Amino acid sequence: MKKLFTFGLLFVLATSIAWSQNEKYTQAMGDGIKALNGIDRSKPDPKSLVDIANRFERIAAAEPKEWLPKYYAAYANVLLGFVAPTLTEKDQYLDKANALLKDAEGIAGKPNDELEVLKAYQSQIHLAADPMNRWQADGEKFSGYLQSAKSINAENPRIYYLEGSSLFFTPEEYGGGKKVAKPMLEKAQQKFGAFKPETAIHPDWGKMETEWMLSQTN
Amino acid sequence: MKLFYCLLLFVTPTVFAQKSIQGKVTDQRGNALPGANVFLKGTYDGGTTDANGVFAFQTSESDTATIAASYVGFEVFEKKINLKESIPAMSIKLEELANELNTVVITAGAFEASDEKRMAMLKPLDIVTTAGAAADITGAMQFLPGAQRVGEQEGLFVRGGSGQETKIVIDGMIVQNPFFSSLPDVQSRGRFNPFMFKGTSFSTGGYSAQYGQALSSVLLLNTTDKVSNNGLGISLNLANAGLNYDYANKNQSVSAVVYYGNLRPLFKLVKQNVEWIHVPEFKGSSLTYRWKPTKNGVLKVYGMYSDSHLSMNSNDPSSDTGKMRLVLKNNNAFTTSTYTDSWADGRWTLNSGISYSRNKDNMTYDGANFDRFDERTQARVVLTRLLTGNNTILFGAEAHAINLGNGAGGQLYRLKDRYTAAFVESEIYITRALAGRIGVRSEYSSIIGRANIAPRLSFAYKTGRYSQISLAAGQFYQNPDYRYLYLNKSLQYERADHLILNYQIIKNQRTFRVETFYKNYAQLVREFTGQKYDADPYRFPWGATNNGGDGYARGFDFFWRDQKSIKNLDYWVTYSFVDSKRLFQQYAQSATPTFISNHNISLITKKWFEKAKTNLSATYAFTSGRPYYNPNNEEFLKDRTPSVHNVSIQASKLQSIKGNLVIFYATVDNILNTRNVFTYRYTPDGQTRYAVGPQSYRSFFVGMQIMLSRKAKVEKDEF
Repeated sequence: MKKLFTFGLLFVLATSIAWSQNEKYTQAMGDGIKALNGIDRSKPDPKSLVDIANRFERIAAAEPKEWLPKYYAAYANVLLGFVAPTLTEKDQYLDKANALLKDAEGIAGKPNDELEVLKAYQSQIHLAADPMNRWQADGEKFSGYLQSAKSINAENPRIYYLEGSSLFFTPEEYGGGKKVAKPMLEKAQQKFGAFKPETAIHPDWGKMETEWMLSQTN
Repeated sequence: MKLFYCLLLFVTPTVFAQKSIQGKVTDQRGNALPGANVFLKGTYDGGTTDANGVFAFQTSESDTATIAASYVGFEVFEKKINLKESIPAMSIKLEELANELNTVVITAGAFEASDEKRMAMLKPLDIVTTAGAAADITGAMQFLPGAQRVGEQEGLFVRGGSGQETKIVIDGMIVQNPFFSSLPDVQSRGRFNPFMFKGTSFSTGGYSAQYGQALSSVLLLNTTDKVSNNGLGISLNLANAGLNYDYANKNQSVSAVVYYGNLRPLFKLVKQNVEWIHVPEFKGSSLTYRWKPTKNGVLKVYGMYSDSHLSMNSNDPSSDTGKMRLVLKNNNAFTTSTYTDSWADGRWTLNSGISYSRNKDNMTYDGANFDRFDERTQARVVLTRLLTGNNTILFGAEAHAINLGNGAGGQLYRLKDRYTAAFVESEIYITRALAGRIGVRSEYSSIIGRANIAPRLSFAYKTGRYSQISLAAGQFYQNPDYRYLYLNKSLQYERADHLILNYQIIKNQRTFRVETFYKNYAQLVREFTGQKYDADPYRFPWGATNNGGDGYARGFDFFWRDQKSIKNLDYWVTYSFVDSKRLFQQYAQSATPTFISNHNISLITKKWFEKAKTNLSATYAFTSGRPYYNPNNEEFLKDRTPSVHNVSIQASKLQSIKGNLVIFYATVDNILNTRNVFTYRYTPDGQTRYAVGPQSYRSFFVGMQIMLSRKAKVEKDEF
C-alpha cells in the first residue's frame, strides 16, 4: 500500500513537472508572440526585435523537439532583415533566418506549409534588399516556396497575403501595382476569415497587414 | 516518508531563489556587441546585450549550468559555470565566423560579374546597360582593365595578347566559334545573348589550371539554372526580329528562341563605310532544356543553329580595282550538355559535360573558293572535394577531337587534332587572411605529338577589413595557329609565363583595384618567306616556320568604381597601360605588334531615373595609336595611327503596356562623329594607303523587347 502510495505520488509529481514544463513553454511562447505583435509594424524597433529573436532562440535551445520557437526566431530575423540599415547587416539576419528555418524543417520532419510560407517571405525580403540584382533569382524562389505551400495547404491565408503584397510593392511597369494586388489581397482576407490556428502559439500573422494594404488599394 | 516531505519543503525555496548573472560581450578586439543573446543552455533564462554589450539576467538554476552567448556572424561561445557560488561579472569574447569580409579571396587576374558573390565588381546587368557595348558580352569586356580595343577585329585582346590568345568557355566547355564569321576589317559580334548567363568571369591572366590553350586570357560564362519568366517574349529592332518562349515547372524548364535578322533597315538609316552587295542576313534558333533530377543535380542541354549570308566589296590594296568581292555563307551549330551535382553536404561536387560544334564558311574572294570548316567534340569531368577549413582539392580531365579544313587556291587542307588534358588544383587557407591556390595542368596534342606540363600558382593576403593583395604566376601553353600546322606539324606549343601583382579595396559600394603584370612569351612561331613583309592579314602562311620567336608584355591597369557618392549614379573609370614587343610571324626583328595600343582609357556612367523608369548610360573610350606597317619607312612598324575616341550613349526605358513589360532602348554610337582610323593598308607599290575604320561613324540603333508575361495576373479560376 505504502509502496503504491509512493509510486502514485511520484507519478503525480512527475506528470505535474512535465505538465508545468509544458505550461512554461506555452507561457514563454505566448509572451514572445505577444511582444512580437506589440511591435509597431510601420516602424519596427530593431532593438526590441533582436530581443524577441533572442528570446525565441533561447526557448528553441531549451526545447529541441519544438519547431515553433525556431519558426518565430526565423520570423523575427526576417523582420530584422527588413529594418537593418545596411545590406551586409540585412543579409546577415536573412542568412540567420535561413539557418533557423532549416533547423525547423528538420524538427518538423514533414513538409509544413507555414515553413514554406516563411521561406517565401524570407526570399521576398532578401529581394527587397537589392531588387535590381536579385529580382530574378529571388523572384523564382518566392513563387516556388508559395507553390509548395499551396500544395500542402491551399487554405493558408498567408500564401495569398504574400502574393498580394508582392504585387502591391511591384511597380506597375513590371506587372504589379495596387490595383493588380487588390483581388489577391481580397482573397487573402477571405481566407483569413476562415482561418483558425492549430493552437494559440501557432502562426497567425498577416491579417493586419492585409487589411492595411487593402485600405490603400481604394 | 516524513523525511521525504521535509526534504520537499526544504528543497522548494531554493528552487525559487533567483541568482543574477551579468557581464559584457565583445569581439576579439574588445568592441561591444549589442544585441548578443546570452543564456543558460537548456533553460529559458537569458538576456540580450545593450548598446554597450552589457547583459544581466536572473536565473533560478542552482547547480552547474552552461552559459552560452551567440551573435549574428560569430561563433557560439559556451562555458560551464557553477551557480552554487556567487558569480563575478563575466567578460565574454566572441570569435568572428569566416565570411566574405574577413576571409581572403584569390582574385589576381580575375574580374567577375556575378549576382551571387558580394565581392564581384560587376553585375550581369552591367553588361547590357553599358553604352558602347551594344549588348554584346565581349563588347562590355573591352572596357575592363587589361583589355585593349582593336576596332577592326573580333576577339578579346588582353595585356599584349592577340585575339586568338583568349578562349571563351561556356559552363567549362570551350566555344569553338564564339563570334560570327570573321570578315576583312569588320568586327563581328558574339553569337551568345548576355541574358543566357548568370555569371561572367573575365581573367586577364594567371588563371586556374582548369583551363588551357589560351596564352592570355579566358572568359568564363556560366549559364542560368532556371528561367524566371514564364511566357512569350518578342524582340524587335532595326536589325532583327525574334521570339522567345519560356516554360518552367517545378523541376524542369525549357526555353526556345527563333530569330531572323536583316541589316537592311539599319543600313538605310545609317551611312555605311562598307560597300555591301548582299546586306547581312541571318536566321537562327536555340533550345535549352534544364532538369533537376535530384536535390542538387542540374542537367542542362543547349543547342543552337544559325546561318548567315552576306556579300561585300571590301578594300583590297593589292587588286587593280582596289576592291575585292567577297561572298560568305555560314552555317554554325553548337550543342552542349552539362551535368552538375553534389553529395555529402556539398563535400563532393561534380561538373561534367559534353559538347559538339560545327562551323562551315562557304567563302569566295572574287569568285575563288576559300572554304573553311571546323568541328570540335569535347568531354570534360571535374570532381571537387571540400576539405575542412574551406580547403578544396579538385581533379579533372578533358578530351577534344578537332577537325579542320581550309580551302586555298582550289586545294583543300585538312587537319585532325586529338587533344587531352588532365589537371589537379588545390585551394588552401593557411589562415583566414592568407590563402593559396596551387595547380598543375598537363596536355597532349596529337597533331604536334607533344605534351606539356604547366604549373599555376596564386596567393592572396588580406591587408585590412576591405583590402587585399594577391599574386599570381603560371605557365600557359597554346597550340600554334592551325594555319601554320597545315604545312609544318613539327612545331611546338607556344608559351607564355605570367606574373601578376594585385591590390584591391572594396568598401561601401566603392571599388579600387590596381594590377601590375609581366608576361614573357616564348616559342612563338616565326615564318621565313625570304621576301618583303606582307601586311595582308588574310594571307595564307606559306613560308618555312619554326618556334624561334619570343616577346614580352608588361604594364599595369587600374579600376575605380563608385556607386555610392551620388544617388542612383554609378560610374567607373579604367586605365590600362601596356608595353610589348615580339619577334614572331614574319617579323625580321622584335617590334610592337599592330594590335597593341599603349593606353586604353574608358569612363562609363549610368544613371537610373526612378520616376521615368529610365536608365541612361554614357561611355567615353580612348585608345592610343597603334603601330601599322608602312613599306616606305625603313624602320619596321614605327608608324602610329591617330588615337581613337568614342563617345556613346544608351537609354533604356521600362514601360507597362496592358500588363506586359516592354523595354525600349536606343543607342547612339560615336556621337561626335569622329573619323576614327584603326589601321592603314598600302598598295603593293607603296604609293597609296587606305585607312581602315569602323563600318560606320556616328550611328544609332533602336529596338524593343516585349515580355508577354502571365505571371503578374491573377487568374480568375484561382478563386
